[in-house]
Amino acid sequence: MVGFGVVGRALAEKIVSEREELVSKFGLKPRIVAVADSSGALVDERGVDIERALEAKKRYRYLARAMPNNVVKTPLEELLENFDYDVLVETTPTNIVDGEPGLTYIKIALSMGKSVVTTNKGPLALALPALTEMADRNGAILRFSGTVGGGTPILDFGRMCQSGDEVVKVEGILNGTTNYVLTRMYSDGLDFDEALIEAQKAGYAEKDPSMDVEGFDTACKLVIIANYVMGLTVTLKDVEIRGIKGVTYGQLKELAKSGKTVKLLGTIDKEHGLLTVQSREVDLTDPLCVWGTLNAVTFHMEKLGSETIVGKGAGGAETAVAIVRDLIIVKRFLMDSLGGLPLKSL
Amino acid sequence: MKFGGTSLGDAASVKHVAGLIRKYVQTGYQVVVVSSASSGVTDELLNMCEWSLKDEKLIADRVNALFEKHLYMAEMSIENCGWLNSVLEILNSSKRELEKLLYGIHYVKEITPRIRDYVASFGEVMSTPILWGCLSSVGVKAEWLTGWDAGIVTDSNYGEAKPFIELSKLQLRNKLQPMIDRGIIPVVTGYIAKSQDGSITTLGRGGSDYTATLIAAALKADEVWLWTDVDGLMTADPKIEPSAGTIKELSFEEAVEMAILGAKRMHPRALEPAIADNIAVRIRNTFNPDNPGTLITSKPTEGGDVVKAVTVTRDVGLINVQGFGMVGTPGTAAKIFQILGKANINIMMIAQTVSESNISMVVPRKTLMKAVSLLETTLLGTDLVRSISYESDIAVVAAIGSGMRGKPGTAARIFKAVADEGVNVRMIAQGSSELNISIVVKDDDCEKAVRAIHKAFHLGR
Repeated sequence: MVGFGVVGRALAEKIVSEREELVSKFGLKPRIVAVADSSGALVDERGVDIERALEAKKRYRYLARAMPNNVVKTPLEELLENFDYDVLVETTPTNIVDGEPGLTYIKIALSMGKSVVTTNKGPLALALPALTEMADRNGAILRFSGTVGGGTPILDFGRMCQSGDEVVKVEGILNGTTNYVLTRMYSDGLDFDEALIEAQKAGYAEKDPSMDVEGFDTACKLVIIANYVMGLTVTLKDVEIRGIKGVTYGQLKELAKSGKTVKLLGTIDKEHGLLTVQSREVDLTDPLCVWGTLNAVTFHMEKLGSETIVGKGAGGAETAVAIVRDLIIVKRFLMDSLGGLPLKSL
Repeated sequence: MKFGGTSLGDAASVKHVAGLIRKYVQTGYQVVVVSSASSGVTDELLNMCEWSLKDEKLIADRVNALFEKHLYMAEMSIENCGWLNSVLEILNSSKRELEKLLYGIHYVKEITPRIRDYVASFGEVMSTPILWGCLSSVGVKAEWLTGWDAGIVTDSNYGEAKPFIELSKLQLRNKLQPMIDRGIIPVVTGYIAKSQDGSITTLGRGGSDYTATLIAAALKADEVWLWTDVDGLMTADPKIEPSAGTIKELSFEEAVEMAILGAKRMHPRALEPAIADNIAVRIRNTFNPDNPGTLITSKPTEGGDVVKAVTVTRDVGLINVQGFGMVGTPGTAAKIFQILGKANINIMMIAQTVSESNISMVVPRKTLMKAVSLLETTLLGTDLVRSISYESDIAVVAAIGSGMRGKPGTAARIFKAVADEGVNVRMIAQGSSELNISIVVKDDDCEKAVRAIHKAFHLGR
């Protein structure tokens, strides 16, 4: 595990508290042989004492500060190359400028033929086609359910829509923070700035909210959907991005009269190869028109019409579920490639 | 006669060895000498490979140090100036070759198994001329040859090359017999040979023993003497059981069993040529040459108890695969072995209950976690397997002796002996060849178990 923040810790807690169920239900017995935060790594091929690591992290913020004698300072690049593991779970913070440090970690693991589960949107938004190619060519798989919709299985829902039909267009509210801001403006008559401060107070928005507000977070997720669901090979630079900054309460009030409101929508138009992020008018009756921090995505298909999936878009515990879901898929992949027996149906 | 690394560890030892050889030659023995590298040198050479990749600056110094050691050995052991100069010339040319080779490794940034064998070969290529020089200096007519010049040809499985037995024997005979007939003692490098295409290969750990038995088989020798620094194979590790003694006689199959089960200083495969041509092998102590050592033959004279030795293999781990789904399901064990085999994990010991709900196996400890992870990944969640557990702090204790064949009660004596010491046995295995009974115990208990069995079978001196 590289990255031991909210998501990494939620995963560790899940693995500890659900140890029995994971084995009995899914045949999954993850052994965390190394866990790293920005200060260093705890390493033990028999399994790191994860409860102790969680406690240490909670009390001292950095592993190295809490357990100076146990933490190894080997550069992670070296550790990933020389240490034995089956799968890298990468949960370092998103960086959309160059994807680092996550991008390098993912590339090293894939180049060694190790599978990767990540919740980090940066490397995927910048290099998903390249990373997929690396996984394929090296006999590994790359999974990233948790990057879109937190625990809500939006990506695999999309894949199912694509299966036997063709997804021609995708529209979605993919960012919980901005949706919360727009919701507070709509229902409580707040200005944009006021609503943003509320969002920050509630812990939904970062101190620097630009990733969310300017639409980059939505754009990243859009790129991931376009690649994974629709088979497009696009990256962040292919997305036309506009945020929600210009939206005012007055505008929302006026639109409500005609049964509409404004949402920050990500759109993929397959025919024209267009990916856009912008605030757009939505009918209040549209299934896409969800409130609070909820996410919603509508897949428009050639034959089936439209299907919409709605769910909580973020949260540590929710994203941890997505990682476990990915780990189960990695396990199946490894069982096949290692010549194991068929998994009993789940 | 093959001399191990410690027998050639320093100048005094080399002189002592040359004296030993001369004594036997003078009493009328016809001898071929096989020489190992001086102790520690092969490891040092293999280390050099690794750091040559990284650090160019160290190459000259380390090669120099290694060379100085041999130079000193030669100067202190060879009294005749003429012979000494010939040896120094050989050493100097080896030094230049090795140095260039290591720089080569540094610049191409690659160390392949073929190159590693090439580098490793220098140990014998340096030690053998010194022994030859010393022999010549004390008046023994001798010639030194590399393994390949003597005629040994192997496959290209670098690091663990397998000789072409018949071809090598034919060539060895053609090369060495005429020398012996002319009264010349051939001094051959152990461990190293060449592949069919002429690349240098090594025969693996203990490969010098293999060279010796192969030459013995080729020349239909009466006996092979493996000179080492112990009196022979022991009834137990004397560090564990102080009363352990030398085993006087062993059969080939018992010796192979002991070699596999960790009696050091012998390659399990090294006995093959001796077995095939039924040539007696004797393990003797260079530094205690009056002791007859351990004689290994196809038909040892009977005597003693049914168990001849107790060995212990540490650094192992136990894996337990459990699930009622395995009952009556053919192929479960095969699946487990196939999965571990594909990952190159060696299974040392296996036990399955007749109910088939449980398979236990012992693997080397350094591969334990890899094996556990693999089995968890591939078998958990299937209908067959419910749980996989492991113990890393265990050891295998084995009682060896062909006398237990068809002799009821041997197992009972072993279990009683360890039980009386309060040692819990976690797993048991005995092959139907009845050559050995192996038990798995806690690592902390293994010495107690060895002592108990040793005592129960009256193996102490």
